[in-house]
Amino acid sequence: MAETMEVDTPQGTPQDKPQDKPKAAAKGKRTRMEIKKWTSVALWAWDMDTDVCAICRNNNMELCLECQAEQGTKDTADCTLAWGSCNHAFHFHCISRWLKSRNSCPLDNSEWVWQNYGRR
Amino acid sequence: MASINKRLLKELADARREPSAELVALGPASDADLLRWRAVLRGPRDTPYAGGLFELRIDVPKQYPIQPPALSFVTPVCHPNVHFETGEICLDILKTQWSPAWTLASTCLAVHVLLADPEPSSPLNCDAANLLRCGDALGYRSLVSLYTRMHASGGG
Repeated sequence: MAETMEVDTPQGTPQDKPQDKPKAAAKGKRTRMEIKKWTSVALWAWDMDTDVCAICRNNNMELCLECQAEQGTKDTADCTLAWGSCNHAFHFHCISRWLKSRNSCPLDNSEWVWQNYGRR
Repeated sequence: MASINKRLLKELADARREPSAELVALGPASDADLLRWRAVLRGPRDTPYAGGLFELRIDVPKQYPIQPPALSFVTPVCHPNVHFETGEICLDILKTQWSPAWTLASTCLAVHVLLADPEPSSPLNCDAANLLRCGDALGYRSLVSLYTRMHASGGG
């Protein structure tokens, strides 16, 4: 049994001291580590009041609910954010669908005037 | 279809996380159909509806939240803006003033506010509305509390 464990210790000398535990062997010859790849991660958020689209209730940073459901089956590059002159933001897809019913901001009921829409 | 279910499940989770005193129950009527909900409103305090429990039926259209949900009372309610037999509710946000920012829970709360604050100028129940319109608040209150006790007392 001791022999099968010693197979794991690199460049050890298992023949000399078969009773030696692998731990002791590792202490004698330190394993060296080398960093092969370093990946950094950053988080960001829109600097604004509304972070959830009031129409689909998905976060504004995510795709709209429809696009999220069909992810992979259709092109979601046009799933952007849209702002009205009232400064309320929604997914472009969501607000477009709503404006066909009524030309008003869902949050303050004022007449909807496009201010801006852009890529996420 | 899949996305509407997702929004409704989100609303259900929110309703369970933050129950309100006015809404005794809110959720799908059965596990089989997420487009058909059931809510129970507590009669607002200091109104003749106090002490009553009022069940609402909620039908969610496939285009929700672009289109409003259809709410109607299952429990018979005596109210100027509620049809006594069909339970139909006359409320602007359920029709022309709907906004997709409303949720099923907030819509129910709007109906709760309507109970306390009737609008007799657009009646679905003319008898109830006429009592208010001719200034007979006492008559209105006693009629409403009679119906509340008859139909909405929840057997207790």
